[in-house]
Amino acid sequence: MRRNVSVAAWFVLLAVCIVLPFSSEDSQVLTIAIQTFILTALASSWNIIGGFAGQISLGHAAFFGMGTIITRELWLSGAPLPLSLAAAIVATALFALIIGVPMLRFRGIYFSIGTLALAVAISLTIGNLFPGITSMPVEALRAYTFTDPYFLALGAAVTTVAVAMLLRRSVVGLGMMAVRDDEAAAGAVGVDVLAHKLAAFAISAALAALAGGAFAFFSVSYYPSYPFTAVWSFETILVTFVGGIGTIVGPIAGSAFFVIGRDTIAANFEGFQVIGFGVLFIVVVLLVPGGMVEGAQRIGAWVVKQGQGRKRDVEG
Amino acid sequence: MQLVIQSAISGLLIGGMYGLIALGLALAFGVLKVLNVAHGELVMLGGYVTFFLVAVVGLDPFLSMPLVFVATFGVGVLLYLVLFRFVVRFDIDTRIKNSLLISFGLVLILQALAVTFFTADERAIITDYSTAALTFESIRVPFIRLAGLLVAVALSVGLQQLLDRTTFGHAIKATSEDWALASLAGIDIRRVYLVAFAISAGLAGVAGTLIALGFSVSPSIGLGWTLKALIVVVLAGLGSIRGLIVAGMLLGLAEGLASVWLGGAYREIVALGAFLLVLLVRPQGLFGRRE
Amino acid sequence: MLEVRDLEVAYGDLQVVWGVSFDVPERSIVAVIGPNGAGKTTTLRAIMSLLPVRGGTVSFRGKPISGLLTHQIVEQGLVMIPEERATFAGMTVGQNLELGAYAKRARPHRDETMDEVLAIFPRLAERRKQLAGTLSGGERQMLAIGKALMARPELLILDEPSLGLAPVVVEATFETIRSIRERGVSVLMVEQHVEMTLEVVDHAYILETGRVVGDGSSDELRHDRRILDAYLSM
Repeated sequence: MRRNVSVAAWFVLLAVCIVLPFSSEDSQVLTIAIQTFILTALASSWNIIGGFAGQISLGHAAFFGMGTIITRELWLSGAPLPLSLAAAIVATALFALIIGVPMLRFRGIYFSIGTLALAVAISLTIGNLFPGITSMPVEALRAYTFTDPYFLALGAAVTTVAVAMLLRRSVVGLGMMAVRDDEAAAGAVGVDVLAHKLAAFAISAALAALAGGAFAFFSVSYYPSYPFTAVWSFETILVTFVGGIGTIVGPIAGSAFFVIGRDTIAANFEGFQVIGFGVLFIVVVLLVPGGMVEGAQRIGAWVVKQGQGRKRDVEG
Repeated sequence: MQLVIQSAISGLLIGGMYGLIALGLALAFGVLKVLNVAHGELVMLGGYVTFFLVAVVGLDPFLSMPLVFVATFGVGVLLYLVLFRFVVRFDIDTRIKNSLLISFGLVLILQALAVTFFTADERAIITDYSTAALTFESIRVPFIRLAGLLVAVALSVGLQQLLDRTTFGHAIKATSEDWALASLAGIDIRRVYLVAFAISAGLAGVAGTLIALGFSVSPSIGLGWTLKALIVVVLAGLGSIRGLIVAGMLLGLAEGLASVWLGGAYREIVALGAFLLVLLVRPQGLFGRRE
Repeated sequence: MLEVRDLEVAYGDLQVVWGVSFDVPERSIVAVIGPNGAGKTTTLRAIMSLLPVRGGTVSFRGKPISGLLTHQIVEQGLVMIPEERATFAGMTVGQNLELGAYAKRARPHRDETMDEVLAIFPRLAERRKQLAGTLSGGERQMLAIGKALMARPELLILDEPSLGLAPVVVEATFETIRSIRERGVSVLMVEQHVEMTLEVVDHAYILETGRVVGDGSSDELRHDRRILDAYLSM
C-alpha cells in the first residue's frame, strides 16, 4: 500500500514538472525550475559517490564543468546537441576512471583533499586557457526558448534520480554502501572495494557531466571557468546534506529548498543568502547529519509519540 | 638557459610564500587536528587589511605586518569561539572530517562577505620599490619577493622558537601530541587550541600582505592559496614545521622549472601532480615522521 | 578524601559503569581490583573528566568535581597516570618533567620539586636529555610517576601500574608507591594483579562488569581467598 502511494507520488511530481512550461509563461518560474533540476541532478549524482559509497568528494564541480565545456564547445561549433552531450558524458566518465585509480587509493580525508586539489587545479587552468566569456551566437539567441533547455534539464534530473534509485536496489549499490559503512569488513567478505568506489566515482561523474550539458544548453553567456568553481561543489554538498545524504528524496528536497529559498525569500538579502545557507549547512553537519529527511523522521516520531500519549490519557 | 635560472629563482622565492601560508595551516592541523580549508580566506583577509592600511593610513606594507597579524589573530579568535570550538569536541577522525566540511562552508561564507564589503575588484599594492630588484648578470631578483622569503623564514624560525623554548610552546607541543595527557598535566587545552588557531590565522594574515604586494587580492583567491598550502604540508610531511619553508621552495622551484617547458597556464597541474605523486610514493612527506 | 557515589558512565548508548561507590581516605592506599573490561579505566577517566559522567557524584575534600574540566581537577590536587602512553614520547625526559609542573599549584615550586623527583629516580637524571620514546618500559613508568609527582598531587591515581612490566620493575614501582604515601600523598590504584596489589594497599574494592561487588581491608581480603576466588577466578 505504502509502496503504491510513493510510486504514485513520484508520477504526480513528474507530471507536474512536465506540464509546468505549458501552463506558465513566467520566465522566472521556469528559470527557478531549470536551476532546481540542474542542481538536483548534481546533488543526486554526488550522492552516489558521497552518500552511497561514502567518499566525500569536494571536487564535483570538475566533472560538472567538464560537462559544460565539452558540450558547449562542440555544440557551438556546429555539432548536434545530443552528440555533444554524449561526448561530454563519455569523456568525463573516462577521465573520472583514469584519475579515480590513484585518487581512490587515498582514504577518507586524503581523498577529499585530493578531489579538492583536482577541482581547484582544473578550475584555475581552465581560467587560464579560456579567459573570455562564452556567448550563444546571435541566431541561437533569437531562436531561444525556455522549452528545450527546460526538458533537457528535467531529463537530466530524472535520469540521475532514476539511476540513483536503481543503484540503491542493486547489488552494486549494496556493495557501495558496504564499503561506506565499513571498508575493511566489506573487503573481508569479498567486495572489491576499489572497483565499487571507481564505479560510484565514474557514474557520478558521468551524471554530473549530463547536468553540465544541461547548464551549457540553458545558459546564454558565462565565463567558461565558472561551472568549475568551488561554489558548485559546495552547493551540491550543501543541498545534499541539508536534504538528507544517502537518501533519494534528500537531494531533491534540498535542491528545491535551496533554489526556491535563494531566489524568492532570500533575494531580499543580497549576499547574505550564502551566509544563511552556509550557517544552515554547518548546523546540519554538527547537529542533524541526516538533514531534512532525518529532521522529518524525528518530527514524525515525536508526533507519533504525542499521539500515543494522548491515546493513553483517553484510555487511562 | 638564463630563462631556466630566472624561473628557478623566481620559483624559489615564491615558494617561500607558499611555505608561510602552509605554516599557519600546519599549525592549526597539528595542534587542533582541524583542517581549515578556509585558511586561504584568512590570507585574503590579511591582504585586504593591508591594502586598506596602506591606502587609508599610508603605512608601508612591511611595517603594517604586525598590525595585520593582530587583526587576523583577532579574526582567528572569533572563528574559534564561534565555530571551531564545537568541532574539537569530537574524536580525532570525526573532527577532521567535520572541520573539512565546515570550513568548506566557511570558504563560501567568507568569500560572500568579502564581495559584499570589498567588492569583487582585484586590488594590488604598488609601492616605490615594487619594481626594484637586485640584478646579477641580467637575472632579476625582485626586492619584494626576496623580502617575502626573509619574512617567511623569520616567522618560521620565530614559531619554532616559541614552541621549543617557552613553557606555553611546550604546552602546545604536548597538546599536539596527546591532548588527554596534556590536560592530565594541568594544561588548559581550550586555551592552547584558541591561541594556536589564532596564531595560525595571524600567520595567514601576514602571508596576505605579501600576496597583496607580490600578486593581487580579490574575494576568490582563497582556495588557490589553500591548495598550495595543502600541497606544501603534504610535501613536508605532517609534524614538520622546519620542513615547510623548504618544501614550499621546492614546490615553487618545480613549478618554475615546469613552466619553462609547459607554459605558465599549467602551473596548477604541476602542483597537483606533485601532490598526488608524494601521496602515492612517500605519504609521510619529505621530512615527516612515520606515525 | 575522595568520595565516589553511584557513579554511572556510558559511551553513547552503551553503559559501562553502573552506580559505583568507593572512598579513598587521607593518607591511604586504595585499590579497585577487577578483570579486564570491568570498567576500571572508564571509572578513572570519568573521575578526571576525560569522560562525561552520566550519573552520580565525585567529591574531593568535600568539594564536587564532576563538573570541572580535567586541568581544573589537576589544580585541585588530583593527578592521574594513565594506563598506556603516560609520557610525551616526542619530548625529552627533562621536558616531560617540567611539563608535569605546568599547573599553577605546582609551577612556583618546579625546581624544588624537580630535585626531589630526581632524587627518587636518579636514573631519570642520567637520561634527562633523552627522548621519552626511547626509554625502556620500566624507565618510562618511572618518568610517568615522576611527571605526576611534579604536579605536587594530594591524591595520585594510577591505572594498572603493573601492566606490561617485569615483576622486578613492578616490585620497585609498588615500593615507590609506598614511599609516596609516606610523603603524605594518598593513592588510588586500579589493578588486575590481585596478589601484589593486596600487599601494598590498605583497602580494596572489587569491580566486575561495572559494579562494585565487594570490598574489604587487605587483611580481610587476603585471608578470605574465597571472596576473591569467587569473584575473580584468578
